Amino acid sequence: MKLTIDRDRCEGYGLCAEAAPHLMHLDDQGELVLDQVEVPDSSAVNAEEAVRVCPVAALKAR
Amino acid sequence: MPPAERLVVVGASLAGVTLVDTVRRHGFTGRLTLIGAEPRAAYNRPALSKGVLAGTDALSDIALPSLSCEVDEIVGVAATALDPVRREIVLADGDRIGYDKLAVTTGARARRLSDLGAADPGVRETTFRDVDDARDLARRLGPGSEVVIVGAGILGMELASGCVRLGASVTLVDRQPPLRAQLGPLLADLLWAAAARHGVRFAHSPGGVRLRASDSGTPVVELADGRRFEGDIVLSAVGCVPEVEWLRSAGLAVDGGIAVDTRCRFTSDIVAAGDVAAFPTPLGPRRTPLWTNAFEQARTAAAALLEGESAPALVPSRTFWTEQFGMTVRVCGPLPMPGEPTVVAGTSSDGEVGDEGLLLRWPGHPGTAAAVNRRVPITRLRALTQPAPIT
Repeated sequence: MKLTIDRDRCEGYGLCAEAAPHLMHLDDQGELVLDQVEVPDSSAVNAEEAVRVCPVAALKAR
Repeated sequence: MPPAERLVVVGASLAGVTLVDTVRRHGFTGRLTLIGAEPRAAYNRPALSKGVLAGTDALSDIALPSLSCEVDEIVGVAATALDPVRREIVLADGDRIGYDKLAVTTGARARRLSDLGAADPGVRETTFRDVDDARDLARRLGPGSEVVIVGAGILGMELASGCVRLGASVTLVDRQPPLRAQLGPLLADLLWAAAARHGVRFAHSPGGVRLRASDSGTPVVELADGRRFEGDIVLSAVGCVPEVEWLRSAGLAVDGGIAVDTRCRFTSDIVAAGDVAAFPTPLGPRRTPLWTNAFEQARTAAAALLEGESAPALVPSRTFWTEQFGMTVRVCGPLPMPGEPTVVAGTSSDGEVGDEGLLLRWPGHPGTAAAVNRRVPITRLRALTQPAPIT
């Protein structure tokens, strides 16, 4: 599974980073940083939860 | 919950899919069924008044990730009744689904002025709740459209913002000035000023509003003081009501939503989460139809199904945000607060916010913080409102 961010949509709410803190974080400017773009199968459910809670549908998992 | 049990989740939006995913992730091995009335997979509702209305988002852009866990999904069929004695859910197509435990995540539907007795008989009333509503409005809207929106709350204001962006001319009508009751005067006035800069007209009358029938088929909005507003499109944005009718035949007391405990339990066998659930507050059970509540309650309900009393009680994060007229407002904690907030960072004058945005706190109320036009992550805003740890 691979995570992507649509930068035009992302507003830096940070609910994704709260749901999957080992996969992503927000930097000091509130920009989302993916720490793992390729998500191992063991973390797939966390990635899906992070995608689901994004209120602006900016985070995608494929 | 014993592993062989059957769990049925009725309602397949954010709360329902989160609940399904969470129980599986926490080891539920029984039979799991998800029932959704909408004829499509779950999607992001906040995007409806933004990208979908603007025509820039297709359904695929806002779809929630499909569930990868083992679940029987029944899509496009509403639950119409509950038989608590036989422990069965009756579906619109006549099927019956047996359960041992039930999760109710049926959400809410748009409230109508006709529900409030404020519409002439037979008036064709338009509301905004699901993707069909958004597409329908997008199709009817165009440059020069005259839109009248009844209800100057969050949804009404966001719809007004989306409509003016598409070149429509918008009038917002309500009992009171916009957003006062939700946000308090300072935040409400900032958004009101932003809307006015975008050409939105406002009218309010404490005596209320009525939808009158007209020859054109589009209703006319009439204020108690006699003023009348006509438009090509008249929208009602007057809140939502919980989807509980299907439970009434079971004799369950569900007026005002399904009153759950702090673990989102309604009875020993039934949990509820999201817009349909009324959560305990100091004022009694209250529905708080917000995005974060849907998944916080769903996670709580999932844990309660699996662990019962030993599951953690939910402390709601009380997080809320809105984007409209080029402004973003993010709030953690209860609003409205009494008194004027202190500007902790940033500046504003004459209803315009400076480039730094604003960070607001309320003296004597450390549990609330708000950011205007500032890219503050919700988690950091929430951290500001937490009590300092005792050292």
